[in-house]
Amino acid sequence: MRDRILNIKNEAIAQITEASNSEELEGIRIEYLGRKGKINELTGNINELSSEEKKQIGILINEVKTTLENEISSKEDQLHIKSAEWFDPTIPGIKQDLGHLHMITQAIQEIEDIFKQIGFVRRRYPEAEWDYFAYTALNFPSDHPARDEMETFFIDSPENKKYGKMLLTPHTSSGQVREMLRVNSKPPIRMLNIAKTYRRESDASHNPLFHQFEGLVVDEGINITHLKGTLEYFVQHFYGPNIKVRLRPHNFKFTEPSFEIDTTCTICEGKNCKVCKEGWLEQAGSGMVHPNVLKAGGIDPKKYSGFAFGWGVERALMMKSGVKIPDLRTLYSTDLRYLRQF
Amino acid sequence: MQILIPDSWLREHLKTKASVADIAKYLSLNGPTVDRVNKVGDESVYDIEITTNRVDAMSVRGIAREAQAILPRFGIKASLTNISTVKPRSPNKSLPLKVNSNKYLVNRTIGVVLTNIKDWNSPNWMKKRLEAAGMRSLNSIVDITNYVMLEIGHPMHAFDYDKVPNATINIRESKKGEKIVSLENKEYKLPGGDIVFSDDKGNVFDLPGIIGTKNSIVTKSTKRVLLFIDNNEPYRIRNTSMKLGIRTNAAILNEKHVDPELGMIAILRAIELAKSVCKATVASRIYDSYQQKPKLSEVKVEYQFILNRLGVSIRKGEISKILKSLGFIPKWSGNNLHVNVPSFRSHDVTIAEDILEEVARIYGYNSLPGNLMEGALPHVPTENLFSFEDKIKKLIFSLGGIEVYTQSLVQKEFVDLNKAVKIKNPLGTDTEYLRTSLKASLIEAAKGNKQETEPFHLFELSSIYHKKSSDLPDHISKLGGIFYHYEYRLAKGVIETFLKRLNINFSINKEDNSQFLKSKRIVFKFGKDELGELGYVGNQYIYYSFDVESLRKFSRKFKNFISIPKYPPQTEDITVQLPQKTIINEVIQSIKDTHKYISDVELKDIYNDSYTFHIEYQSREKTLEDKEVEKIRQKILQKLANIFGVIVKS
Repeated sequence: MRDRILNIKNEAIAQITEASNSEELEGIRIEYLGRKGKINELTGNINELSSEEKKQIGILINEVKTTLENEISSKEDQLHIKSAEWFDPTIPGIKQDLGHLHMITQAIQEIEDIFKQIGFVRRRYPEAEWDYFAYTALNFPSDHPARDEMETFFIDSPENKKYGKMLLTPHTSSGQVREMLRVNSKPPIRMLNIAKTYRRESDASHNPLFHQFEGLVVDEGINITHLKGTLEYFVQHFYGPNIKVRLRPHNFKFTEPSFEIDTTCTICEGKNCKVCKEGWLEQAGSGMVHPNVLKAGGIDPKKYSGFAFGWGVERALMMKSGVKIPDLRTLYSTDLRYLRQF
Repeated sequence: MQILIPDSWLREHLKTKASVADIAKYLSLNGPTVDRVNKVGDESVYDIEITTNRVDAMSVRGIAREAQAILPRFGIKASLTNISTVKPRSPNKSLPLKVNSNKYLVNRTIGVVLTNIKDWNSPNWMKKRLEAAGMRSLNSIVDITNYVMLEIGHPMHAFDYDKVPNATINIRESKKGEKIVSLENKEYKLPGGDIVFSDDKGNVFDLPGIIGTKNSIVTKSTKRVLLFIDNNEPYRIRNTSMKLGIRTNAAILNEKHVDPELGMIAILRAIELAKSVCKATVASRIYDSYQQKPKLSEVKVEYQFILNRLGVSIRKGEISKILKSLGFIPKWSGNNLHVNVPSFRSHDVTIAEDILEEVARIYGYNSLPGNLMEGALPHVPTENLFSFEDKIKKLIFSLGGIEVYTQSLVQKEFVDLNKAVKIKNPLGTDTEYLRTSLKASLIEAAKGNKQETEPFHLFELSSIYHKKSSDLPDHISKLGGIFYHYEYRLAKGVIETFLKRLNINFSINKEDNSQFLKSKRIVFKFGKDELGELGYVGNQYIYYSFDVESLRKFSRKFKNFISIPKYPPQTEDITVQLPQKTIINEVIQSIKDTHKYISDVELKDIYNDSYTFHIEYQSREKTLEDKEVEKIRQKILQKLANIFGVIVKS
């Protein structure tokens, strides 16, 4: 019985291999696997056997059946490939519509992802804020000229005795002291505050509304090299591995020392072009957190130190190579012909 | 502040072989930023940005001092030249000058009278330098005052001595509304509390530190000149200058704590130039009234502090050397550093961090390595609002939404005035309020795209703002969107799919509201809580808005698992004719309620008043037989006929 089965199997495989068209193959299928085919015929004979043999032969027959089915189907495929049926695989696909995420959203998500990898936690603080958090707690004297330079929008509402005037935050730095207070003045702090900010300016490089991302780190033993390392980590992930960071002296009330952050020009990669200065791009401001700011957040500046940086999302975005937007305000256009490009 | 420094002028104060390019590059790295170097004729002119705290560097001399400290760090020798300022011999008979000063208004005044001005034309070299530095040449005396200001850094004024009645200057606060006429013939009403010079009768004849007035200025017919230096109280200068909108170079310097010590050097330099350029004669002694000397402070710094903040090791000797090169006097006692701050930095350098900054920048930020922080990570809260917002945006985006960013500041007509926060100093009336809803901005955005021929869907996720009494306004995060030219069922389908994918078990209710067209609005609810709304706000405009926090609250990350049924379902389509004004949702609900084996009912098609429903029958216990389904179907049709008066088509 066993031999008979194997003979039928070999015979069938030989015929399948030699089949030269679909009709022939179908004939073979009927001959062996059809209702009255040779395999079914074998099954009919099975009753003659003892129950133990029945079981084993049954398994064998099933195996042969599966084998032949597979052989036939792969031979079918082979025959198909050979037959040159007309087909145009280059025909245009049917359009599938997705929407569009705004470039600013895409940039924010990328920025958040990069800083998340080195332990930063994203936060958001009020856009309509007290003067105290935007200026006073950040070590701005009450009549300091820098307050005018920030071109602040003020809100038409009564002053608060403790916190002063209400305004629209000109920078995400107003989240610094709020974050220190949120953690009950207990470092470590690694905050990333991405939010809308406002200044009374409107021209090709300014929209009254813009976005900033602010990093704040406070812990024991934080020094300038940590700021530099963090910025390098960010720019090399955001702009590319060959981009370098350069810190230059600057002056902000809430940091001491203060630095301007330059990066290798992302357009010419440092070769010097129209956009950059000698291969460097001015990007953002930063510094070591001023002891008075730590004190305002209830943190002992003798024990802890920190750094902070504030960067324009739109600025970072426009400096990405390939994104050639001449006017920053274009980012706020609602024209679909622009929005659909990204 | 931007200043322009001609290279040849700089090199009169700085002895170095450094090239122009080197000076520009190294100053920028360790000191003030040289934005560019301009060529003016054969002169290279540095265009330098100086931060407001560094008034000491806002002059040729100041930049020279920075350069001599910085260049040697890059292996280039540099040193400051001496300024030869010899006090002239006082004349035998000095012309008088009386200054009735006020130490709350001025720190120091210095005056000297010159006569015999022979040449009112400045020499070419002076004109060229002034022009290269961005100033106009007027006449030799005025030019000298400007030249000295640019070179030394202390502003100075020249009066017609004969227009100062009784040779007396009374320094006082102005009264509100007092008038002056500037040398440019413009009249100003003083805000009050401004520093003014007046004669004995009270007539104002100068707005010191800011601008000269017409009634006392030097002209080419002036016979006797009073060169005058006033070191003023900077906050008042700033206040007056800003309120009147007079932003002269003098005002911009004077509002930043100019070092009064510079006064004498400046006046001596001016006398020297007047003698050589105009052949002038000194006709008085130098009247110096020094009422408020700068407070010289000592700052203490620990060696370890510098090491800790710098992050690299630096020797004590090197720290001292750097500080000395900048004019500080450092003294070590053990590991404690005592630094005497020079007068020209007395307002800028007051704490240990300031000393660190000087050391670090001259050492070179570029020489510092970059390291990532070690230490514990902050505790990360489990509920992350931002990842939820991301999810929302990505869902709407995948359903065809196009994201926009519109302005938070809008016009009055766009807001609910009961809730709106008003801006005190808007850029215009079109940006006077913080928006109270996203609706108007989105409709405007849609209307701006009239050129589109296909339907589109815009959305935005942003805060809106509702005012609160005596507290910051509420910032409410909203998802808003607009469908333009969308078929209603398609728009509603987008929103329903969105909510289903957030795993929110919502219900809808028809509720009118003045913001929407009548009877064309629905609200989405979770239990009794409102999630958002959808409806027509105009012909072809379907608007929706959802509260992000509510969505987050009622959204479930994962659904409960339901095992796959063991028995196959039976499905069929039933088409019925419905009377007008039938609410389809009620029909569907009614079908569903007919029997427990009805597992799903969907509206499949509409043709005129014929509605095709796709019905799924399923039991979890057995395979349903045709006879059983037939029975349920009859029940459904009977029910629909009774309740809704339907006519069965198939």
